[in-house]
Amino acid sequence: MELAWYALLGLFFATYLVLGGYDYGVGLLLARGATARRTALNAVGPFFLGNEVWLVAAVGILFGAFPTLEGELLSGLYPAVMGALVGVILVTAGVQLRSRPHTARARAGWDRVIVVGSALAALGWGALLAGLLQGVPLRADGHVDGLTHLFTPFVAAAALAMLALVAAHGATFLTLRLPAEDAAPVRRLARRLVPVAVTAVGATTVVGLLSDRVRAAAQQPLAAVLLALLLVVALLAARTALARNRPGVAFAATSAALALPVALVGAALWPWALVSTAEPGAGLTVADAAASGPTLRLLGWLALPLLPALLGFQAMCWWVFRGRTDGRAPVYW
Amino acid sequence: MDTLLLARLQFATTTTIHFLFVVVTLGLVTLLVGLQTAGFVTGKPVYERLTRFWGQLYVINYVLGIATGIVMEFQFGLNWSGLSRYVGNVFGAPLAIETLVAFFLESTFLGMWIFGWHRLRRGVHLALLWGVAFTAYASAFWIMVANSWLQHPVGYEVRDGIAHLTDFGALLTNPTLGFAFAHVVSASLVTGGMLMAAVSAWHLIRRTPDFALFRTSLRLGLLTAAPAVVFLVGFGFAQFGPVGRLQPTKFGGGPDRDALVAEWTARFGSGDYTPPALANVGLGFMILIGFTLFLGTLLVPLLWRDWIIRLRFPLWLILLALPLPFVAVILGWIAREVGRQPWVAYGLLPTEEAVSPVGAGVMLTSLVGFTLLLGTLAVTNCVLLARHAARGAADPALGRPPAPDTDTHPAPVFA
Repeated sequence: MELAWYALLGLFFATYLVLGGYDYGVGLLLARGATARRTALNAVGPFFLGNEVWLVAAVGILFGAFPTLEGELLSGLYPAVMGALVGVILVTAGVQLRSRPHTARARAGWDRVIVVGSALAALGWGALLAGLLQGVPLRADGHVDGLTHLFTPFVAAAALAMLALVAAHGATFLTLRLPAEDAAPVRRLARRLVPVAVTAVGATTVVGLLSDRVRAAAQQPLAAVLLALLLVVALLAARTALARNRPGVAFAATSAALALPVALVGAALWPWALVSTAEPGAGLTVADAAASGPTLRLLGWLALPLLPALLGFQAMCWWVFRGRTDGRAPVYW
Repeated sequence: MDTLLLARLQFATTTTIHFLFVVVTLGLVTLLVGLQTAGFVTGKPVYERLTRFWGQLYVINYVLGIATGIVMEFQFGLNWSGLSRYVGNVFGAPLAIETLVAFFLESTFLGMWIFGWHRLRRGVHLALLWGVAFTAYASAFWIMVANSWLQHPVGYEVRDGIAHLTDFGALLTNPTLGFAFAHVVSASLVTGGMLMAAVSAWHLIRRTPDFALFRTSLRLGLLTAAPAVVFLVGFGFAQFGPVGRLQPTKFGGGPDRDALVAEWTARFGSGDYTPPALANVGLGFMILIGFTLFLGTLLVPLLWRDWIIRLRFPLWLILLALPLPFVAVILGWIAREVGRQPWVAYGLLPTEEAVSPVGAGVMLTSLVGFTLLLGTLAVTNCVLLARHAARGAADPALGRPPAPDTDTHPAPVFA
C-alpha cells in the first residue's frame, strides 16, 4: 500500500517535471530575443495551467499520504523549496499576465520575470532532488538539523544539470509544436542544448560518485548508476532524433530524461524516503513516512476511480490542441 | 522576533491575499456560467460579449488565486511541519482530496476554456466552464472541511501523540462546516455580484459606449448580490450557536469557557487560552459591514424602469461600496482563525507546537520574500484588473477570433 502511494507520488512529481519542465524550458528560451516570444508562449498555451496542477497534486499526495515526510522534506530543504516556489510563482504570474499590458516595455518586463522564474524553478527542483539523494541531517527526534547541509558541490551541479535539461526539453518541445517554418532554428538550438545537458548530467554523476555523502546515502548504488546511464542514453537518443528531424521521438526522449531523476532518487534511497547523515538509524523509511492505514485506504478508494478521470481530461486537452500551432490558433498568453 | 510569530504573520499575509482573490473567483465563475449558458440558449451576441469581458477579468484574477494557493500548500510543510507530523493523518486527507478532485481538474478545464474559443464546439466549451465552476465549489468545500477540522477536530483518535483517522464521515458532518461553507459561498456571490455591479456602474456613470451591455451586467450583479447578502447574514448569525457551543473561548465569557480553560490547564499546563482581542473586533466590524450591505438590497426596487441608472446617485453608492465586501471577508476570516488561537487544531494541538524548527532568520527571509513577491503581484494584478475593467468590452483578448498575431494592438480608448 505504501509502495503504491510512493510510486504514485513519484509519478505525479515526475509528470510535473516533464510537463512543467517544458514550460520552464520555453520560459528560459524567451531570453533569446524579443521576436517570437509570444508565439513560443502560445505554443505552451492551453497546456500551461494543466501542467502546473501536477505539482499541486503531487504535494497534495505528499501531504495526504506521507504527512511526516512532507513536514521534514519541505522544512529540511527550505532554501531549495523556497527558490523553486518563488520561481513557480513568477512563471505562473508572468505567463498569464504577460500579454495583458499593451506596451512593449511592460511585456519585456514580464518576459524577464518569466526567464528568472523559469531558471529559479529549474535550479530549485534540481537542488531538492540532489538534497534528497545526499541525505539530510535528520536527528533522532525526527527533525532536520540546520540548513547548511544543502550547500554542497553535488547540489550545485545537480541544480545546473536540471537547468540544462529543462532548456533542452523546452527547445525540443518548441521544435515539435511551433509552425514548421519557425521550428527549424529552434531545432538547431535544441541540437546544441542536448550535448550541454549530457555534459551537465555527466558532471553531476561524477561529482556524486566522488561525494562521500552521496555514496553513503545511496542504498541501491547499482540502480542509481544504471538510471543515470539511462538518462544519458535518453539524451543521446534525443540528439539522434533531432538530427533525423523526428521531433516527436526527441520529445519523448527528453521527457524521459526529465522523469528519470525522480525515479533515480526514489530507487537509490529505497527503502528509505529520507536518509539521515547524522545518525544512521534516524532516517525515515517509506513505510514510516506514510499516513496510517485508514487514511491510505480512504485516499485509495478515492484515487482508484479518480485517476482515470484526471488522466482522461488531461489527455483530452492534449488531443484537442495536438499538432503544430498555426496562424489560426487562439492566442492569449 | 521569534519563529512562531513570523510563521503566523506569513500565514496571515498569504491567506489574506489568497482569500481576496478566491472569493472573486468563486463569485465571478458562477456569474460567468449564467452568462455563457444564457448565450448558448438564446444565441444573443450580447451574452457572448459579456462572457468574454467578464471572463477576461476572471482569468486575470485567477492568477493570484493560484499563485497564493501554491504558496499556502507548501507553507504547511515549510513552516508548520508539526501540523503534518501530529495531525497530518486526518488533516492531510481533505487537502489531498481537494488538490486531486478539485484543483487539478479546475485548472485543466480552465486552460482548455481559455484556448477553446472558436475551436471547440459551443456545447463542449460551455461544459468546460460548468466544469470549472463545479470544481471551484468542490475546492472550496474540501478546504472548508479541512479548516473546520482545525476549528473542531472530530473523527480521530490519538495514539502515541499522533492523531489517526477513525471516522471520515464525521469530518463531513462537522457542525462547524455546513453553515460556514454556506456563509463563504454567499460571501463570494456577494463579492462577485458587487464587483460586477460596481464596474458596470462606473461605465454607466462615465456614459461609455455599450450602455445596453453594462445595463445587463449591472442588473445581473445586483440581482445576484442582493439575495446572496440575505443568505450571507443568515448563515453568519446561524454560526453563533454551534461555534459558541464548540469553541467557548471564541466569543469571550461564560461558565463554559472557564470550565474548558480549567480542563486545558490540567492537560496542557497553565497558559493564556484567550484569543487575541483582534478576533472580536474583526467580528464586530464585519457584522456592521454585513448590515450595511443588507441595507443595500433597498436599491433593488430601483431597477424598475432603470431608475437606478437615471437617478445616478445609486450608481455612485454601488461604486463606493465595492471595498466593503472585501474588507468584510478579511475581517470574517480574522474572526474565525484568530479566534481559534492559541490552537492550530482547537483543544488538540497548540500553535507553538506546530511551527517548524527552523531558525528565525530563515523564517524572516521567507516572510519578507513572499510578502514582497505576493504583495507586488497582488497590486499589479489589481491594477491590471482595473485597467481591463475600464477598457470596456470593445475587444477583450479572451475569445478574440484567431488572426495572424502581430504582438501589437491599437491604443485603448480608456487607459
